[in-house]
Parts: sequence; C-alpha cells; structure tokens
Amino acid sequence: MTEPEQALEQARAAAASMRATGAYDEDTARAEPPDGTVSRDKLSQWAAIDPDVRAVRSTRPYGAPVTTFKRMLVRLLSQYHAELTSQQTRFNVKILEELERLEQRVEALERRSEREP
Amino acid sequence: MKVHQVLSGAGPHDAITSEALAFRARFSSWGWGGSDHAGQAVPGLNGAFTPLSELRPGPDDVLLLHHSAWTPRLQELLALPGRKLVLYHNITPATWLWDDSPIVAAQCHVGREQLQTLVRAADAMAADSDFNAAELEALGAARTRVIPLLIDLERLGPKGPPAPGPPTILFVGRLSPHKRQDEVIRAFALYRRHRAPDARLTLVGDPLANSYAEHLRRLGDELAPRAVRIESGLEPSELGERYRSASAFLCLSEHEGFCIPLIEAFHFGLPVIARPSGAIPETASGAALLVDDADLGVVAELLHLAISDEHLRAELARRGRERLTAFAPERVAERLMAAVEEAAAR
Repeated sequence: MTEPEQALEQARAAAASMRATGAYDEDTARAEPPDGTVSRDKLSQWAAIDPDVRAVRSTRPYGAPVTTFKRMLVRLLSQYHAELTSQQTRFNVKILEELERLEQRVEALERRSEREP
Repeated sequence: MKVHQVLSGAGPHDAITSEALAFRARFSSWGWGGSDHAGQAVPGLNGAFTPLSELRPGPDDVLLLHHSAWTPRLQELLALPGRKLVLYHNITPATWLWDDSPIVAAQCHVGREQLQTLVRAADAMAADSDFNAAELEALGAARTRVIPLLIDLERLGPKGPPAPGPPTILFVGRLSPHKRQDEVIRAFALYRRHRAPDARLTLVGDPLANSYAEHLRRLGDELAPRAVRIESGLEPSELGERYRSASAFLCLSEHEGFCIPLIEAFHFGLPVIARPSGAIPETASGAALLVDDADLGVVAELLHLAISDEHLRAELARRGRERLTAFAPERVAERLMAAVEEAAAR
C-alpha cells in the first residue's frame, strides 16, 4: 500500500537494503551527459570525412529494393564522392592545424605577458 | 481565414507532423483554408506537405511556423506577406547529437540561434508547454500562449485489459542519445537481474542515426540477452498494442519539450517512472513517479514497486486518467483557435 509520494523514499531504502545484502554490486551510476566540449582527438576524427554507406537506406516499409538501388548509385558515384570527401577532409585537417598553431601562439603570448606585465 | 503551416521536416512517425495534420483537420472543420509546407518531407505522407517554394501567403493570412529543430529559409519566410505565429516545440541541445547525427546537431544549433530572430519578428508566439514558453520569455517574448500538443489517442486503438505474462517495461521515443535509451537498458538490466529474471524491455522509436541504434542493440545483447526488443516504423495500432502489453513505462530522457508518450501511457493506465527533465514534471503533474537519483538501482527498485504494488498502480492509473483531461483535444483546439485569431488580428 504505497502512495506515489512515498514511492521514491521507499525505493531508495529498498536499494540501500538490497545493497547491504550484496545486490546492486555492479556499476549503477547514471552516465554523465556530455558537457559540450569536444576533445582534440575527436575533432581530428571528425575532420577526416568517412560517410557510412549504411546511412543510405529507404524509410519506406518493405524498402529493401530501394535501399539496394540507392547503395548501387552511391557505388557508381564513388569516384566523385571520394573527390568531394578528400577536398573537404583536406580543408578540415588544415584548418585544425591552423587552429592549433594559433592556440600555441596565444599560449606563448599569455606566458610572455605574465612574465612582463 | 487562411492558415499556412511550415515545418522544417515532415515524416510519418513524427509528433510535430502528426500535430500539423491534426491542426489542418481542425482548420478545415472551422472553414479555414491554407496549405502545409515542409523543408524536407519523407515519403509516406500522401502529398500532405508541399515544398516551401510553393508557399504563397496573402497579406491577411496567418503563417504558422512550427519551430522544432530549425526553420529553413527563415529570412525569406519572415519577409513573406501575412501574420507570423510561431509555435515553439523546443529544440534538443546540439551537444547530444554531434557524435551520431552531425547534420541534425547543426540544425538544432542554428535553430536555437534563430529563436532570437523569431521572438523579434513574429506577430505572436505560442509554445506547447510552460517550460517552452519560459525559454521564449527569457529571450524577450512579451506574451506566449501555451497550446499543448493536440494528441489523437483514438488512433492507438482500444485500451483493453493488461496482458498476462512476464513484466514488460516500455519506452517510446526516437532512438536518440538525449532520450537515454542506454540508461533505460541499464536500469532494466538491474531490475531484471535483481527483481524479475523473466522481465522484458521494449523500446519503440525510429533511429535518429544507425550508429546509436546499433549501440543500443549491442548494449541490450550484453546486459540483458534476448530480453530487449527495439522496434521502429510501427503503425499506430501496433504502437497501441505495445502499450496494452506493457506493465510500466520508463522514461529517462534528459530533454523533453512536452513528451507525448507520457500522455499515451496515462491513456493506457500504465504506471510511469520518469526523470524530471524539461517539461516532464509539467506534463506528468503528479501522475508519474519522478526520479532524479544518479543511482540506477533506485530506478530499478521504483520499477519493482510500480509493478508489484497494486495500490500504487491503481492510484497512478487514476491520476493519469485525471491528467488526460488537461489535454482533451477540444480544450487544446480552443486554445489553438484563440492563438490563430489573435495573430490574425495583429
């Protein structure tokens, strides 16, 4: 006979009591949501364009033949897409390099201004 | 009167598309004309939405902009004749989406930037929850009408008695990282391991990206082999069947502008356990068990309680039925009519 307002406290107590008997010994912590920052490694990974052909699919029911046709078209256009992705990847990689260079310059300037206020 | 609707995208299993179609049926019943347009429309909508380039509003018409991810060609739309009524459905923070769906992440990022412009340029603002309205007001919107989502529960079929069999946990929502189906699987696996070894989990939703759907499948196979079912592209009658055969609804989503599945779960008398994120506390309003604990063991114990305690189940079902009255289609339609008429009079 639990009222909705009591349910959470009761569940907390039950989880604590179960844990005391050895249950819930695995990882039960909520995974943290992303904080919005993107690491340098991930940026480098994103810079190299590598589309997944599995994203090319039909959204219709029984669309398997349409999916096959679309993927065949992708294959037929693969030279053009390779050119497109390589040009975009070149730009992405160079812009990342440039950002890194600028970051190093900013750090150097900050260090100098700390030494010579 | 003519009311033209604009959506960024339209699809057969999309809540905003369903609402736009329900709005059109209402407009027609009120003798109002107009047309419906989408930046992108996937097949299966029988031509209900035409491209934005075909939009030709007159100076006395109302342009109803559904802002849910972003609004394509916004400046061109704002320059068109007619009164602009913005209906804000909220936008998923892009930070959840960069990994799995960069294009949607970029659209959401742009969509949030567009909000300021919309608040400045629109003749009238509306939102489908107080939570969404508060975001607009924080950006300077003077008055925002709240029009809850117009939900057709009849499409899901009859309610029916609970199905016999092992406990079945259900979550319905797009397979997307911010909906946290990964956490639902983890909490379910704990419940199954420590409380109900024969329990099942059903996740219903279209994938935002294949990569996240595959991640969920792998996680399900690893933590609860053969007990997790992931289904996409269901017809409304099939979705109704999933609600009918469920024992509890578990929503651990981290961002919701409204959360229609809560209303659907109330309709079927299911006990609902949810994170109190976004508009969920407002939509649930005392009819769900809200849990913000980081310990998923507590979520598993809440599931156990909601499924095994008959009194708790009955009380939650009663509160859910009561909550449904706030979203009765006639009440929502009255608000919609008032908002459109107000925009037209400006």
